[in-house]
Amino acid sequence: MFERKKSLMLFLLPGLAGVLLFYAVPFLGGMAYSFTDGHVPFRWVGLTNYRAVWGNRMFLLGLKNSLLLSVMCAPTVWLLGFLLAALLCRLKGSGNALRNSILLPYVMPSSSVLLIWLMLFDYGGPINRLITALGCGRVFFLSGEALRLPVLLLFVWKNLGFAVIVFLSAMQAVPDAYYEYAALEGAGFLRQCVSITLPCILPTCFLMLILAWVSAFKIFKEVYLIGGAYPDEAAYTLQNYMNNLYGKLNYPHVSTAAYTFAGMLFLFFGLLFLIQHRSTKAVEGE
Amino acid sequence: MHLDHLRPGRTKKHRLSRLCLTVVALMLLMPVGLTLLYSFFSPEEVLEQLQLRGSFSEARFMPILLIPRMISMSQYYEVLLKDNGILQRFLLSVFYEVAVVAGQAVFIPALAYALSAFRFRGRNALFLLMMLLMLLPFQVTMVPNMLMLRALSLLDTVWALILPMWFAPFYVFLIRQFMVGIPRELYEACQLDGAGTIGCYWHVALPVSRPVLGAAAALSFADIWNMIEQPLTFLSHREDLQPLSTVFNRLIDVPSGIEFAGAALYMLPALFVYLFFLEDIVSGIQLTELK
Repeated sequence: MFERKKSLMLFLLPGLAGVLLFYAVPFLGGMAYSFTDGHVPFRWVGLTNYRAVWGNRMFLLGLKNSLLLSVMCAPTVWLLGFLLAALLCRLKGSGNALRNSILLPYVMPSSSVLLIWLMLFDYGGPINRLITALGCGRVFFLSGEALRLPVLLLFVWKNLGFAVIVFLSAMQAVPDAYYEYAALEGAGFLRQCVSITLPCILPTCFLMLILAWVSAFKIFKEVYLIGGAYPDEAAYTLQNYMNNLYGKLNYPHVSTAAYTFAGMLFLFFGLLFLIQHRSTKAVEGE
Repeated sequence: MHLDHLRPGRTKKHRLSRLCLTVVALMLLMPVGLTLLYSFFSPEEVLEQLQLRGSFSEARFMPILLIPRMISMSQYYEVLLKDNGILQRFLLSVFYEVAVVAGQAVFIPALAYALSAFRFRGRNALFLLMMLLMLLPFQVTMVPNMLMLRALSLLDTVWALILPMWFAPFYVFLIRQFMVGIPRELYEACQLDGAGTIGCYWHVALPVSRPVLGAAAALSFADIWNMIEQPLTFLSHREDLQPLSTVFNRLIDVPSGIEFAGAALYMLPALFVYLFFLEDIVSGIQLTELK
């Protein structure tokens, strides 16, 4: 740890200036902005913007869909990532090729596999072929509520690798002896996951849940790719609403929507942190 | 493990794990593999297939193509040598990529170093600020970004994409988490050799953090290469400045048969980055300790 102050500024200031300039300061400034009418000279309008946005049907629809999609995506990525990492962990070094293949989509642009997705989920595509082979009726995947499935799968395809890597790096630190003992006692794979792996890497699990949720909240890319700029109502996300307002140059309402969302997220994350705090204490107390 | 031969059940179970993982891995690799495969079909054959999309006839399915009638390079020929906009967009994507990563390399490791190797008042508060900013999704940070870009009248210029990304809080967090783990003895040894904080940064912090720097570079590459939200909002009136990632779904509206070569070309740099940084990604991402 260095205590000299002069050279600190050399490292700290350039980056910090940028973070403050583009993120922190306008974040606070924008908050004030959301209480004005948006025209110079700014007139204080109190909660008018908030009332207008909260009462807007499209805002509520976008919010609902963003939350719904994130509730579908984040736990899926988390759970699959956990299970795959646990399986990879058992294989030790011999699973490296498999691990590498699972990681590959994470650096691939999802736009480049879009065509394959559109063909797979077409009304006459292979997925529907499979569904009919199983004796069910075909599904219109590219419109209506079913649109959420290709969106979900594209998201999982892209984000699974990161979760696996994060989980795996934490799981490798868990001593083998625990598993050997558990195996002798007759614990199966799932039992070992729940009773050994999960408590041992709890902080990572928690952080991964948050990161997965953050990336799921901003879900839009997948919707835009599959559903276009004006998707079906079932996949109309918050970002669609904001882009729409932004196109109309309605900046006060854009900021209002953003801060409403930020407020909700911070409440949610605060709650998660509280739960994590409690459960870490509980585990340590045992 | 040395006890494996005593427990015949164990290897059998591993065979099952391996099977499950192989199935998942194949499913994940399939879209990439199919794109590469289809890029060697002739444009006519691809066009034929694409035009079958969107048919709601109950009687028919699209044929599943796995073997081209003839292996053809004409998709690549058309993408690379004929004027159809894909190559220009591709070069534009490369430009954004280079500009953003170069700026990030200057600002982000230095900031992470300041937040990990120095002790000063307000350090924890700054780190908390970084974490809060990192947790905000794009819908929220786009507003501050946009307000500042507008104040600087940089909206609808290439800088609107580049400047905010230089300071992306997530990478500060990622690299800082790694640098916190560098033992102070290394810095002390470096100081004994007569180096100051700058010397320690250059000779200790950066080389030791090599894995996380590689991982961050790869993640950042992937993020920029795949960006869609930023160009759509910050360049909404400059369609001509938008990178290749945003135009794919418009390209497909009027299929021309060469989309797969465009997509394969778009994958190629990502594939190189993946192969180059694979070891770093695997060993550099450590998020465990939230200190």
